[in-house]
Amino acid sequence: MSSGKMTMAAALNQALHHAMAADDKVICIGEDIVGGAGIEGAPPGGGVFGVTQGLAETYGLSRIIDTPISETAFVGMAVGSAMTGLKPVVEIMFNDFIGVCFDQILNQAAKARFLSNGRMNLPLVIRTTMGAGDGSGAMHSASLHGLLASVAGLTVACPSTPADAAGMLKTALKSNGTTVMMEHKQLYGTLGDVDPLLPEVPFGKARTVVEGSDITVVAVAAMAVEAELAAGLLAQSSISAEVIDPRTVKPLDVASIVASVRKTGRLLVVDEGAAFAGFADAVISVVTEQAFGSLATAPRKLCPPDTPVPYAPGAESIWLPTSADIVKAVQDMMEV
Amino acid sequence: MSLNLLKLFEKACFIRAFELEIARQCDAGEVPGLAHLSTGTEVADAALAATLDPTIDKVTGSHRSHGLTLAVGAGHVKVASEILGRVGGLSGGMAGTQHLIAPEAGFLTSNGIVGAQVPLAAGAALTAKTMKTGGVGVAVFGDGAANQGAVLETMNLAVALALPMVFALYNNGVAQTTGAAFASGSDSFTERAASFGLEVFAADSCDIDRFGDALEQAAASARAFKPALIEVSVGRNDGHYYGELQTSTDNKNEGDAIRALKAKLLEDGVDQLACEQAQSEAKNRAHAAVVAALTEPRAGRAQLQHWVSIAEGRA
Repeated sequence: MSSGKMTMAAALNQALHHAMAADDKVICIGEDIVGGAGIEGAPPGGGVFGVTQGLAETYGLSRIIDTPISETAFVGMAVGSAMTGLKPVVEIMFNDFIGVCFDQILNQAAKARFLSNGRMNLPLVIRTTMGAGDGSGAMHSASLHGLLASVAGLTVACPSTPADAAGMLKTALKSNGTTVMMEHKQLYGTLGDVDPLLPEVPFGKARTVVEGSDITVVAVAAMAVEAELAAGLLAQSSISAEVIDPRTVKPLDVASIVASVRKTGRLLVVDEGAAFAGFADAVISVVTEQAFGSLATAPRKLCPPDTPVPYAPGAESIWLPTSADIVKAVQDMMEV
Repeated sequence: MSLNLLKLFEKACFIRAFELEIARQCDAGEVPGLAHLSTGTEVADAALAATLDPTIDKVTGSHRSHGLTLAVGAGHVKVASEILGRVGGLSGGMAGTQHLIAPEAGFLTSNGIVGAQVPLAAGAALTAKTMKTGGVGVAVFGDGAANQGAVLETMNLAVALALPMVFALYNNGVAQTTGAAFASGSDSFTERAASFGLEVFAADSCDIDRFGDALEQAAASARAFKPALIEVSVGRNDGHYYGELQTSTDNKNEGDAIRALKAKLLEDGVDQLACEQAQSEAKNRAHAAVVAALTEPRAGRAQLQHWVSIAEGRA
């Protein structure tokens, strides 16, 4: 079959359909993922972003489970069901809500395989959204991938294309441990080439988005898209940027990043997450340890200011790194 | 009621003897950190385990779960080894006293976070319902956890989703050093649970007939997808942790459930000698288990390497 264009939301929806058709043990749990529960005549919405559309109609309400607004209870229920043989895909509507149920992730899901000394598998997928850019404000827009990646025992995936999103969801469903799928809200509608078979995408393998020789730009999710745009702009002024999308923040494909930096001698990490002790700092740290001698100039990061995501559109757009910001940062680094 | 009371007594005596052996090892400096002993809950632990079907039912417990882990059938030496931080322990020394886990015995977790084990039991109940096993998920927690959001949310969730789940509330009257009467806004945990729509039962672990009946009714209700809460009065004979003497509930005499069970056995015509023999055999077996555990090497670098391999997805 030939590739076709699909949005990220549609690709994720297809991946869920495939997984649920292939394995009765796959279930989905979350708030409003069917939609309209207990309301006469309400049409099913299939999730706030439509990712779970059509699943209830096909697989029934015993496998697509709408919950009360009780993240601790239903994420914990998902963890317990993974301990006992199901393969739950639990949705936390916005990654900011992780604060509500963090114990069940930090202490229960992440630690169970260690505390059982590997006797217990935990094939749990936590789907959540990340990212600013739509005026949703401080509590529906954060990017907490770095925070989650700092927890031993969690795999953290941040897809930037529809194919990667569907492929990593499939890989997550075959994993023995807990995977957090961070789906960027601004990318749900983005079209991309998708193989209709939705092949799995391995964890810990970066994708080289653009090949280049002057500087390495590392970014995930929406920032990988911005970095690709920036590389196109930089090429017009004869700067050859190599853009690497690690795809999983953890495990991190250190080898690919280090190999690229050894080639280019420069590293810029563009990230929407924390300005301090986040993903960008982690990448700079490991590259500095492993490729210090190859660096022609100090590595840099381009992150938003150390504030919550602003609500006002003018402030939010300045807060977010853009392709123009990336071009300027790269040009500064090339002058050193 | 279908409990075999002599077997129950033997098991409760074993747990008591085991805990006293662990206390001795605490005194000897062989137990890392603090040990929350199950002295006072032995009869509750044994009766709960005897009510369940180990092939289909799953249990989660609190930080105070030595007795429960033994009662559901985890290997005695493995439990002792884990508490002592030895390589032969249930989890090779990673987990320890507060995180005993025995999935092979249907025991999914005991927990260092008060109340966190309760949503996990809802997950076991969801699996049982989805896979139509006929099993139940059982969460054992204390009066302290009864005020945690995780527990209250799960009570509501269990009713909303009609989960086959039992909430087993061990009320020993004290959460660490804070009295249940002080910490709880309402007088009655069962009334609170009933307001969520749970079927509720209350019993005293010193009254085995009524407690056994209540356990059976709670489990039967849960199996019929009507989640239930059973509140049982238990002791906390050795304080919050062994060596913390201020807040032991000091019911080693008339309020002790093992003593009450023995009186009941004698009243039912069981031979005094048979009871004493059961107690003495329990002491011998507990001593042997802990001595065997002490022969295990202490967990160290090799175990750490294994845990790193779990982190890296190699195990």
